[in-house]
Amino acid sequence: MKNLLALFIGAGLAVVTGCNKSSDSPAGSSGPGGGKKLTVALMPKSKGNAYFISCKQGADTAARDLGVDLIFDGPTDPDPAKQNEIIENWITLGVDVIAAACENKEGISTALRKARQKGIKVLTYDSDAAPDARSFFVNQATPEGIGDTLMDEAARLCGNEGEFAIITASLTAANMNEWQKRIEARRISKYPNMKMVALRPCDDLKDKAQSEATALLSANPSVKLLMAICSPAVPGAAEAVKQAGKTGRVKVIGLGLPSENRRYVKEGVTDSVILWKTKDLGYLTVQAAVALAKGELKSGAKTFKAGALGGFEIQGDNIVLGKPFIFNKDNIDQFDF
Amino acid sequence: MSTSYRTSESAAWKAILFRHETVLLLVLVIEWFYFNSVGPRFGTLDNTFDIVRHSVEIGLLALVMTPIILTGGIDLSLGSLLGLCAILFGKLWRDAGLPIPLAIASTLGIGAVAGGLNALLITWLRLPPLIITLGSYSLFRGLAEAITRGVDTFTNFPPSFLVLGQERLLGVPAQAPVFIVVAIGIWLLVHRTTFGRSFRAIGFAPDGARYAGLPVERRVALVYVLAGAVAALAAVIYTARLGQARADAGTGYELFAITAVVLGGTSIFGGAGSVHGTLLGVAAIAVLSNGLVHARQPREVAGLLTGVLLIFALCISAIPKLLATLRVRRQTVPTNIQPSKPA
Repeated sequence: MKNLLALFIGAGLAVVTGCNKSSDSPAGSSGPGGGKKLTVALMPKSKGNAYFISCKQGADTAARDLGVDLIFDGPTDPDPAKQNEIIENWITLGVDVIAAACENKEGISTALRKARQKGIKVLTYDSDAAPDARSFFVNQATPEGIGDTLMDEAARLCGNEGEFAIITASLTAANMNEWQKRIEARRISKYPNMKMVALRPCDDLKDKAQSEATALLSANPSVKLLMAICSPAVPGAAEAVKQAGKTGRVKVIGLGLPSENRRYVKEGVTDSVILWKTKDLGYLTVQAAVALAKGELKSGAKTFKAGALGGFEIQGDNIVLGKPFIFNKDNIDQFDF
Repeated sequence: MSTSYRTSESAAWKAILFRHETVLLLVLVIEWFYFNSVGPRFGTLDNTFDIVRHSVEIGLLALVMTPIILTGGIDLSLGSLLGLCAILFGKLWRDAGLPIPLAIASTLGIGAVAGGLNALLITWLRLPPLIITLGSYSLFRGLAEAITRGVDTFTNFPPSFLVLGQERLLGVPAQAPVFIVVAIGIWLLVHRTTFGRSFRAIGFAPDGARYAGLPVERRVALVYVLAGAVAALAAVIYTARLGQARADAGTGYELFAITAVVLGGTSIFGGAGSVHGTLLGVAAIAVLSNGLVHARQPREVAGLLTGVLLIFALCISAIPKLLATLRVRRQTVPTNIQPSKPA
């Protein structure tokens, strides 16, 4: 019992002295206008993801150009509470502005709102939070941009006529449906001789995409092109085409990461991979974050000038990165994400 | 007389010094001072409350994991059960239209029933808890995913409920009093009742406990039911803290809880350990992962350092035992050699 008592006394002492010491030195605060370096906290959906690592490279460049401190941190395990925890830590840490890619919209919005209440500027990038939890969303690609680019590229490769099939993640995913609607609208208005013969879900799994693509190819021998609109499906479809011995006769395009598709692009199985330049996304996000913290970027603005990248359009409260980028045989080696 | 008194006193001091809890407390204090010296905002009350708020759910799981491990068992399903309870709570409130207090009460009941399922299988089938709860680990998470089909998320809870996870009541995080009540309750149960002491007897020698007339099955069953109910409580607090319930809530929490318990000095084989040790274990891990943010160190180092901490703490508390064995060997060696010397 005696040692137990000692334990608690010791613990109490530790807490008390700990608190005392810090109240002696309340400096450390990097409050805005304090003449201190701005601190930008950038959160990826998950830290090890090559996509976000590439975003960080752009963010680092922007932070260096602007002379601000950049904290890059995010979850390393699949715990959905982690993003909130880190944001709450940042609030206490006293960062000036938070830019987050949200893994789960509702959950993280709670923490972001709290940050705003404490006077921290908040914006989101890549995937948005609830609109009242942030000032701006750096939108990497609008459904129009994605849908139009995919359809234009498909039509170009097929010579504006012929049958094609789409492989999607699931028939219920909201963003995919949005893109698919846009693809259909573009097809009707610009490429009436193209025909979509099948739309298959792959549950965001590469091997399921491969088996769906194989089944598709044998059921529809006249298909000239496979369009994969979720990232695991692009290499999955390419593998199916390759194994069916139809390389070159059936084209593959899709929305995915260059690194996952480099092999197929070089082998000539996949013609083009469509995505935005992730480095630019990171760069633009940090530029916007700093401008927001300095009060240079206000709601209602119509354009935003982001350093070396030039001007960007603002639609409502979305800062739009612009048209997606097409990765192909010629340029894919320049990108490492 | 006086010399013998002195040696026994110094032995007692040594025993306290090398006690697992003392070592851990020391580690915790060192952690605290280190992070306080490098992170200007680490020692503030705000941050202390952040640490508390972030560790309540895992802390609750660790608290109820302690009696389980004391009986020589383990419960791998608690993290999954937290996820299941979180979405069932959401369903009861949103889809069944129950008022929040009733939904909380029902969720606690569901948690207890789920814990009861573990208990039933473990005590009736006499199968190892590791196997049974490995099964329910997948079962509970699978159920949660099946019910929500992996996409349904429960949100827009009333602000009066979110207070429980996000606001302060009487100056402290609202969930802190709940945690303290559970902690005191479990401490009293384990350390101050014959009922609780029987957990250690069961863990130390289940057959011995049975021959001594203890209702081993009933007591073991109770700890799993209790664990289920507390996991449900953790689920409610988790939901309030995040403002959302999703099927992946609490992923991996069972392992954090087990780590905290073992770090706290409870033997994984059962029979020995303490609830206050577990609390220190939880605190050591929580301070570490929070402090690293304030020290501007990559947070993924937390996992690594927790491992180092665990091994360090286990080594330190193994030192007296090691010394004792060495001393015994030194004393026994000469007597063994002496007879062979004349030859």
